[in-house]
Amino acid sequence: MKRITVKAERCAGCRQCEMVCSFHHTKKFSPETSRVTVIKDDRLGLDYPLMCRQCSECLPLKACPTQAINREGGSITVDWQACIGCGACVEECRHEAMKLHDGKALICDLCGGEPECVARCPTGALSYAEAPEFSETPWDAFNRMKEEWGIHG
Amino acid sequence: MARIHGYTGKALRVDLTDQAYETERITEAEMRGYLGGRGFNAKRLYDEVGAGVDPLGPGNKLIFGTGPLVGTMFPTASRFNVSAKSPHTGILGDSNAGGHFAPEMKFAGYDQMILEGRSPSPVYVYVKDDRVEFRDASAIKGRTVFEADGFIKSELGDRRVQTVICGPAAEKGVRYGGLFANQVRAASRTGMGTVMASKNVKALAVRGTGHVEVAEPEEFERMVLELEQEIRGHEQYPGRMLMGTTRILMMANDAGFLPTRNYTSGVYEDAGMVSGERLAEEYNVKNRGCFACTIPCSRVYSVREGPHKGLHGEGPEYEALGSFTSRIGNNDLELALKAIDLCNQLGLDILTVAGCVGWAMELYEAGELTVKDTGGLELTWGNGKALLTLIRRIADREGFGDVLADGSVEAAERLGRGMERTIQVKGMDLIMADPRGLKGFGLGYAVASRGGDHLRSEPFLELSDDPEIGERMFGIPESTLRLADRGKGRLVSYFEDWNAVIDSLEPCKNIMQNMMLLPFERAAEALEVATGLRVTPEEMREAGARIVTLERMYGVREGVSRVDDSLPPRFRESPLGEGASGGTVVDLDLMLDEYYAERGWDAATGHPTPGTLQRLGLGFAVKDLP
Repeated sequence: MKRITVKAERCAGCRQCEMVCSFHHTKKFSPETSRVTVIKDDRLGLDYPLMCRQCSECLPLKACPTQAINREGGSITVDWQACIGCGACVEECRHEAMKLHDGKALICDLCGGEPECVARCPTGALSYAEAPEFSETPWDAFNRMKEEWGIHG
Repeated sequence: MARIHGYTGKALRVDLTDQAYETERITEAEMRGYLGGRGFNAKRLYDEVGAGVDPLGPGNKLIFGTGPLVGTMFPTASRFNVSAKSPHTGILGDSNAGGHFAPEMKFAGYDQMILEGRSPSPVYVYVKDDRVEFRDASAIKGRTVFEADGFIKSELGDRRVQTVICGPAAEKGVRYGGLFANQVRAASRTGMGTVMASKNVKALAVRGTGHVEVAEPEEFERMVLELEQEIRGHEQYPGRMLMGTTRILMMANDAGFLPTRNYTSGVYEDAGMVSGERLAEEYNVKNRGCFACTIPCSRVYSVREGPHKGLHGEGPEYEALGSFTSRIGNNDLELALKAIDLCNQLGLDILTVAGCVGWAMELYEAGELTVKDTGGLELTWGNGKALLTLIRRIADREGFGDVLADGSVEAAERLGRGMERTIQVKGMDLIMADPRGLKGFGLGYAVASRGGDHLRSEPFLELSDDPEIGERMFGIPESTLRLADRGKGRLVSYFEDWNAVIDSLEPCKNIMQNMMLLPFERAAEALEVATGLRVTPEEMREAGARIVTLERMYGVREGVSRVDDSLPPRFRESPLGEGASGGTVVDLDLMLDEYYAERGWDAATGHPTPGTLQRLGLGFAVKDLP
């Protein structure tokens, strides 16, 4: 299955993905409408972009009380007509990939198969290809890099 | 009238004394005339903080400004200026930093934020969109920049809050305390942290949930994609990604203008031990970038063994690296990293610390300062242990540290000796490039509106040593020869105007200016597609000249004139002995004459003429001419 994967070692935390994503979807710039969100730890100098990973078992999809969340053509979709903005999906997603904006749920739609964040990432931290499911959290990644690089505190 | 995009069109005015706040409109005339960030701040400061105001009194104002390109995907548009009357120099205070603070201002709805008055109790100011809270900061009073940042984010329960923080040094009244965004993005020149601390404010925290819209989305995107491609294809791209600005250290050493042992030499024999190359090879682990950056050139380093094992952080940049190595004769790279980290935590301006320590070491080596003066510290060249102790004592204003805590000029005055060895202009300790090897830089230091500093002009084209560029761009072949004095008035005024534009639109100068990517023509185009405001390249340059001249008038109103546009005596009288910049001195008078003529300023006084002020739309300042 094709999915966006993250090389945390490469993420420079510039958040250009957030700008590109919001612009692609709304023609405006706002982290609030971006479907990717970069987690940053300025003390450690580590960064991690959070977004949908196309989990085989999508907990938000299961949790949605109005069946507004579906899987279509390789990506998770939200039917905004059906979405009531309850936030159950945001609670359930293990990867913090869902958010609410103006009372509607947002999630990565892979830009219809050519994700702009991947194309525009300045360091190649993101790629979109056939890849196995991965469960690494930002905190797992941060611990791995801390260990590898001797960065603590 | 069509809506103006890019800008938020709003300034937030925060009254600390009464814990009140209001918003004000920013007009189209202000946008056209002053562009943004630095320009907006210069105008605000000129209008609201006049002669006679005590920089550390409640009458001073701390102003944060950003530009119309920020908060979008425009490459490197991430920066803010912070301005106030400087407690370090008594004239215009202004500093600029990147990171993620500036876009957050825009998302919260502001082009500018003004802190005025003085809080009755220690607070940090929290701005969430259109709401302002004055939050108790007694728990973080006196705490380091890193600790305060952690506390604020955790207390607010929001990891996306962006902060600008002053450190314990500023709270102790050290006159060159800086402000720090994302912990290590330093707006540290001219004592803006000290101004914040004097207002009983520890930090400004901002969180915005709004958006930024541009006037012509398709054209804007086209320009952004073009710029991204040009950046990635640029010859400087690999070096900057690998080393950031630390790449300059070896370049400066090879060209013989690397300030060594308080500018007594331009060549450091151990440069290779403290180079950007060595840092990259042995210590760097990953890159980091400011907001929306195509060329994230900041680096995270880690020291994995030895006496500084466990030390890690972001950076350093060239100015800091050179400051604690060649400038003080220290060849221990890890010790320099430790000193830089310490300054960041304590909230000190590294260039000024190094200016003071380098000055004291020169005096000590000359026998003009003894352990009796220094509280037992042996200030021999390269004494790293003494450096670390002295940094702590400066931050605490303790013993000899207290003597150095107001800058090198005040220290020389207090001791009654060593003034001729201070390396400063208008009280601001200089940066890391010896003007005997870069004459245009020397002129730039002498006339910079915030005192001795290169970032007002940074006429890097003279490094090309290519007379054809000088002939083509300025009609004077020598203007782009680094050791020539002629033509530098025209070179520097051009670069000053250009930098004022960049500092006001607020992308990164390293990229947009040093890599020649945003000349006046393209800056005008960028402004138009982002905001809808149409300006010609000529008008763009004129806005730069207006900002520079108004900043000059800020100094003039405080008493600045031609005699203050000076350089330390060694640059004018004593040639460097060794290296590729040896044998020449700076002919400052010749360059100043040219410069004032270019600017339309009076050659005898260095004051802008009434005619020049009128021509630039600064007629309101004529009354302030002496």
